[in-house]
Amino acid sequence: MASNAAPIRRTLMNVLLLTSGAVMLTTCLAFGAYDFLTYRRQALHNLATLGQAIAANSTAALAFENPEDAREVLAALKADPHVVAATLYTQAGASFASYPPARAGIRPAVALQDGYRFESDYLIGVQPVVQGARRMGTLYLKSDLGALYEWLQSFGLIGALVLAIAYVVAYLLATHLQRYISQPILTLTDTVSVIAEQRDYTVRAARPEGYEFGLLTDAFNHMLERVEETRARLQSQLGRLDLLHRITRATSERQDLPSIFQVVLRSLEDELRIDFGCLCRYDAKADAGSLSVEAIGARSLEHALEPVISMQSRIPIDQNGLARCVAGHLVYEPDVSTIEFAFPQRFARAGLKSLVLAPLLVEKRVFGVLAVARRPANAFSSAECEFLRHLSEHVALASNQAQLHGDLQSAYDDLRQSQHTAAQQERLRALGQMASGIAHDINNAISPITLYTESLLEREPNLSDRTRGYLVTIQRAIEDVAETVSRMREFYRAREPDMNLGRVALNRLIQQVIDLTRARWSDMPLQKGIVIQLQSELSAELPDIMGAEAEIRDALTNLLFNAVDAMPEGGVVTLRTGARLTKSDEDAVPIVYVEVADTGVGMNEETRRRCLEPFYTTKGERGTGLGLAMVYGMVRRHSAQLDIDSVAGQGTTMRLSFVPALTTSLVAEHHPTALHMSHGLRLLLVDDDPLLIKSLREVLEEDGHSIVVADGGQNGINTFCAAVQGPEPFSLVITDLGMPYVDGRKVAAAVKASSPSTPVILLTGWGRRLIAENDVPACVDRVLSKPPRLIELRTALAELTPVSTQTRRQAQ
Amino acid sequence: MTVRKFPARLVALLLITARCWAGAPSEYEVKAVFLFNFAQFVEWPAAAFADARSPFVIGVLGKDPFGPQLDTVVRGETVGHRSLVIERYRDVGELHNCNILFIARTELAQLPHILEVLKGRSVLTVTDAEDGDPAGVMIQLVNRSNRIKLRIDVGAARAGSLVISSKLLRPAEIVGGEG
Repeated sequence: MASNAAPIRRTLMNVLLLTSGAVMLTTCLAFGAYDFLTYRRQALHNLATLGQAIAANSTAALAFENPEDAREVLAALKADPHVVAATLYTQAGASFASYPPARAGIRPAVALQDGYRFESDYLIGVQPVVQGARRMGTLYLKSDLGALYEWLQSFGLIGALVLAIAYVVAYLLATHLQRYISQPILTLTDTVSVIAEQRDYTVRAARPEGYEFGLLTDAFNHMLERVEETRARLQSQLGRLDLLHRITRATSERQDLPSIFQVVLRSLEDELRIDFGCLCRYDAKADAGSLSVEAIGARSLEHALEPVISMQSRIPIDQNGLARCVAGHLVYEPDVSTIEFAFPQRFARAGLKSLVLAPLLVEKRVFGVLAVARRPANAFSSAECEFLRHLSEHVALASNQAQLHGDLQSAYDDLRQSQHTAAQQERLRALGQMASGIAHDINNAISPITLYTESLLEREPNLSDRTRGYLVTIQRAIEDVAETVSRMREFYRAREPDMNLGRVALNRLIQQVIDLTRARWSDMPLQKGIVIQLQSELSAELPDIMGAEAEIRDALTNLLFNAVDAMPEGGVVTLRTGARLTKSDEDAVPIVYVEVADTGVGMNEETRRRCLEPFYTTKGERGTGLGLAMVYGMVRRHSAQLDIDSVAGQGTTMRLSFVPALTTSLVAEHHPTALHMSHGLRLLLVDDDPLLIKSLREVLEEDGHSIVVADGGQNGINTFCAAVQGPEPFSLVITDLGMPYVDGRKVAAAVKASSPSTPVILLTGWGRRLIAENDVPACVDRVLSKPPRLIELRTALAELTPVSTQTRRQAQ
Repeated sequence: MTVRKFPARLVALLLITARCWAGAPSEYEVKAVFLFNFAQFVEWPAAAFADARSPFVIGVLGKDPFGPQLDTVVRGETVGHRSLVIERYRDVGELHNCNILFIARTELAQLPHILEVLKGRSVLTVTDAEDGDPAGVMIQLVNRSNRIKLRIDVGAARAGSLVISSKLLRPAEIVGGEG
């Protein structure tokens, strides 16, 4: 410390010592000079006195020429050792007597001026020797300055001694006295260095004696207080800024509102030491404005002296601070216990006295409120309020961004879904086009089978029961084939206008499916040594449903095949039907369901998600990926529901839920017996498929019609035109739609052009599509799909040809 | 050094030579100066002068041995503010106002008479009688190996109400102190 403080002490010492030294030296010099001058004067005076005495005593010697006497007088000069020479001159200037005697006549008297003076190193005196008024001669005296030197020497010695002693005294005094100045300053310096080293601004300097130093120390301490205050303020400001920064960063990392709100509240509880915090959303549109509580800080819940607010509760906005807050102002209530409104009173009751409400503002629109509270009154400083205002802005911004992000995400999801759907639709459309081409060919190909089977069943009464049974099965199978191919391209469509909805008894249908597929689930696995047990748990009192029987049968068949495929090691397939009410509470509707359950491998998540997509298969080469897609198409067309319960490794349950049919059927049962048969018509048959022509011709001829065949469009037109003016015009034209060069539409147009009253039946492998698309050509009276069913043909013929024509024909 | 000392010695030699040429002062030349000088060292009472303007008188009684010497010495001199006058007497009865009286050797025989006449008067009596005892004469000038010495009879002087300066007494031989 001493070494640190040395400069000021040393400086003070130097100042004091130099000052006193200078004073002492000046004093000594002044005294010395004065004494020197005085001494000189004294020396002159002394010599003059001596000279005068000698001169006075020498007058007689001079007057009466007695040199001995004169020498005697001069010899008295011995008393003064510094008088080195003296000579008495006569008035004439001759040397009369000398001292010391050996030096007689040392100097000629003529050159001498009267008086005493210093000459070089000597003091010279020339004294006139006078008796009365008469001058007798001159006395010359010469004194060296030894006395002066001796005096100087002793003076210097004493002066130095005095100076030394005075300096020592001054040093001792200065050493003692400088403390009065240096000590307070050093104390201050110590304080300053302590502060500088430890950065502790709470240190205070001790107040020393002495008014100015006390004032200085007070000022210093006051300044320290100010520094400490400023520093503390800066520190807390910095802390809040940091908190704001951290909260902002934490919120920016989150995209969902609840977690943003939780982060904000948790940070506030941890860092700002609030006792309660919640975030509410404000919906200006809902019932004149109210707040719904979205998040409450975790510790705020713990506090719950009395639950201030609970999650999701709604707070009405009365004329309290909330109204101002949702108007966009930060509201600070230093003591809510003095406010009578309901909302602040809730806080007061919970022991929370100071309350701050900060609006969450986005683009000048308040969408929420941040409410924080502390137990003591007046617990929020203005800096904290300002901080909360900033924070609420940030939270609002982050929330808004999260919301925007969510909106964007869902828009993106929608878009992707749409894109996915569009792609799927496109794929299905292509498939549909392809399928319709195949359907056309198959329809053509199976038409003879249908016609002949029907014809056989109808016209051969002698068929054995077994044969009849086979034929019926063939007929049903062919019908299913026709249905299947026509649906191939249409499984993605919604319910079609021409779909034949009828009452369907599901239990019966299931029995049919079991019968139809026995080979698949029983015989084929058994060849590989796999046993599949099939159980049917059918509800006895099952209401009918409205639906297309063939489609439902196909769907059930598909489901059954899938169940079998899912059990390569064997297992149990359960077919179950039942009726119950839907779970949706209010308007519970009765439903009828069919379950196909297996104990197979089950589906993993991805398979479960994608299994309904067309062409998605897990069966490798064996699968087409169309089975479940067709099931789903059926389900949609029937406004039914498909539920899939599957656990990988444990099995899958597929459930179809239908709306039961009303008890009285709205759709009249098709009644073949009511058929009005027509006979003896002259028909023109136009088709390019010889097999179809042959079968159709034979069937119709058996009904008693006369048939003219044309194997192409142009051919048909020519034949018709040739006959129309003739004796036997055609009473009806049956034409295929798809033919090379001249198709069925042109044929129909030509027929109508030459004979508008002649009906035209269009046969087509695309029949259902034409009907569905309302694309029936204007010139066509009826469209029949392939394979043509005899019963349909007969109906159409009967309806289109007037009885008169038939009777006329019959008459002829 | 030699060169510097040379002029000093030369000057000294020249001075001595000059003095030899001028000739040493004769005995009475010296004595004339002495007479005059006595006026400086002796105080006369006021009654010795007729008034303030009275001149200071040096008288020579008897055959004047000084010749013109004495007049030469006192010419132009004064004693205080008084002028100096030399008077010569053949007889003691001639003198009236005399302050210093030189009694020539010729008058020694009549000395008692002279002293008798002068008794009670403030006259400094001086003689240069070499031999004998001129009792009653205040100052006797004695030639001793060519130097003039003084012999002063203090009692005679005191009898004449004269105050002889102690300075004069220093180089002199004192006699008759008790008188």
